[in-house]
Amino acid sequence: MSQKKQQMQVEQKVPENVAKKTVRDTKLREAVAKRRTERLAANKTRRAQWEKNAQAYEAEYKAADKSLVDNLRKAKTEGGFYVPAEAKLILVVRIRGINTLNPQVRQTLRLLKLRQLHNAAFVRVNKATIEMIRKVEPYVTYGYPSRAVIKNLIYKRGYAKVNGQRIPITNNNVIEQQLGKVGIHSIEDLIHEIVTVGPHFKEANRFLWAFKLRGPRGGFIAKRKSFINQGDWGNREDLINDLVKRMI
Amino acid sequence: MTSVPLVSVFSADDSSKVTAKHIPLPAVFQTPIRPDIVSFVHTNIAKNRRQAHAVNPQAGMQHSAESWGTGRAVARIPRVSGSGTHRSGQAAFGNQCRKGRMSLPIKVWRRWHRRVNIKQKRHAAATAVAATGIVPLVLARGHRISQVPQIPLVVEDKIESYEKTTDALNFLKRFGAFEDVQKVVSTKVVRAGISKQRGKKYRVRKGPLVVYFNENAKLLKAFRNVPGVEVVNVTRLNLLQLAPGGQLGRFVIWTQSAFAHLDKLFGTYRYTSIIKDGYQLLRPLITNPDLARIINSNQVQEKVQPAKTTKVLHEVQKKNPLKNSKAMDRLNPYAKKQRAAAVAAIKANTKGTKKIKKNKALKKASRAAYNKVAASLNDATKAAVQEEQDIKVKYFSVQKGAAQTE
Repeated sequence: MSQKKQQMQVEQKVPENVAKKTVRDTKLREAVAKRRTERLAANKTRRAQWEKNAQAYEAEYKAADKSLVDNLRKAKTEGGFYVPAEAKLILVVRIRGINTLNPQVRQTLRLLKLRQLHNAAFVRVNKATIEMIRKVEPYVTYGYPSRAVIKNLIYKRGYAKVNGQRIPITNNNVIEQQLGKVGIHSIEDLIHEIVTVGPHFKEANRFLWAFKLRGPRGGFIAKRKSFINQGDWGNREDLINDLVKRMI
Repeated sequence: MTSVPLVSVFSADDSSKVTAKHIPLPAVFQTPIRPDIVSFVHTNIAKNRRQAHAVNPQAGMQHSAESWGTGRAVARIPRVSGSGTHRSGQAAFGNQCRKGRMSLPIKVWRRWHRRVNIKQKRHAAATAVAATGIVPLVLARGHRISQVPQIPLVVEDKIESYEKTTDALNFLKRFGAFEDVQKVVSTKVVRAGISKQRGKKYRVRKGPLVVYFNENAKLLKAFRNVPGVEVVNVTRLNLLQLAPGGQLGRFVIWTQSAFAHLDKLFGTYRYTSIIKDGYQLLRPLITNPDLARIINSNQVQEKVQPAKTTKVLHEVQKKNPLKNSKAMDRLNPYAKKQRAAAVAAIKANTKGTKKIKKNKALKKASRAAYNKVAASLNDATKAAVQEEQDIKVKYFSVQKGAAQTE
């Protein structure tokens, strides 16, 4: 009888380790729950901000298109000419493989992030980059990408360079962590920075891994010849968009 | 552990009676269990009972064999001299030859014995004694001790005066040790291999080890004939008996005086051994083996860093946001509104156009007209097919007729 009573008393006692662990675990759980609610609230405000920014950019792009069209019309009616600003942004696509390359060409292609066939990268236009591209001209084709192509490239083929690793851009956390300090928080911010070649284009472009495109559906014309000579390499200005649409 | 574990001494005649209660366990039983030391010492000490053997130094060499040299279309191995027998001209001496001597013949001066440092031997013995007091180890070694009242089993000195084997057997039965003896008996097998022709016919297991103290004890003769049981004086404890095969946890039955002698024999943590001059028992690496308690203690938990959470940078699979609207909305919450606006725009564009209603009557009439045409076509094709068949029949019948006339 007394043994049974003793047993019951023992069952009511909780082992010291277990008691300590439950206390610790409840504290941890509370902290996690608190962090979660905070995170969800923060996410809500963040998403609202992204939406607002995206809306603003849409309006900006629309306005830019409209102003271009207006200017062209105005020039036509006045009998003059409207020359839009030269492109600030170039999309370079590598069309030659890795074998038998001149070392300088090899190095320059590496500097342009074009380490592989059909790699594409954005390049800002200035004297330095023009010289670089001139050096590798027979091995690449380049031109001025349209907004739609830039958007599609970043959405479909957008990967980030994080700690030397190629991380897919599946959510804005990656962008926030790497580019938050320069004011780019979402993918639309990133696209806007690339399109307008903004003040933090360098960081934004460096964040992006080279786009690994497929070979063009329908093929190239003749990679051995320049675009001007009914071939493929070199500057093809706006027609880069048609090519990249077939490669994306 | 602040308290010393206690042990009861049992009466030799009645296993339920305890003659001395709460004797403290000798310090040897608190030694850290070091199977590595035991294994090392055992493998070396087990070699010390070996007897020298060797191959006959002249084996395979009792010929005047000489190599025939080159130029005789035979291998250059030494060949047996002489003639008149098959043996002559056969190869000799080499390890590869038939009837040749072995390579590296065994010599008697092979190093048969191994010396082990005394301290290592003593540590091994102490550990082995400690292991005899740990039930799981004794069970793991294979002893049948489920009916034994206590491990370590300490019995009053009366058993040292047993002279008859029946007394010994009854004693073992009383203390549940007979099961171990039965195990030995039932598992005695003829040894596999050549050794059975060399005097080791049976493989016999080890049973209980009875440890006594008084030199003029008669129990050796009583326990001698019980299969599996070994008897040893506590001053001559042998690692080969305490941990047979290098495996810790022999089932040991101590007499009271033998048990009491262990402190003098091995010393304690307070004083070194008297008999093993200057020997100090192994000290454990950690004094508190309760790791769970240490880890969960306040002192440790205060210093511990919070557990690392895995930082997930991206979803496991990348979905194309241009096709997958969920993936798009995750990246760009404004996209939903853009899509809705696009749909609305299409709707707005098509607002003026009429929707084509399906006219049932019209449908019926068109179907009837179609069927008519189809029927007429059918008739036409049927007629054509029939005509073709008639022509064929005509042609073949004409041919037949022609053949017959020919």
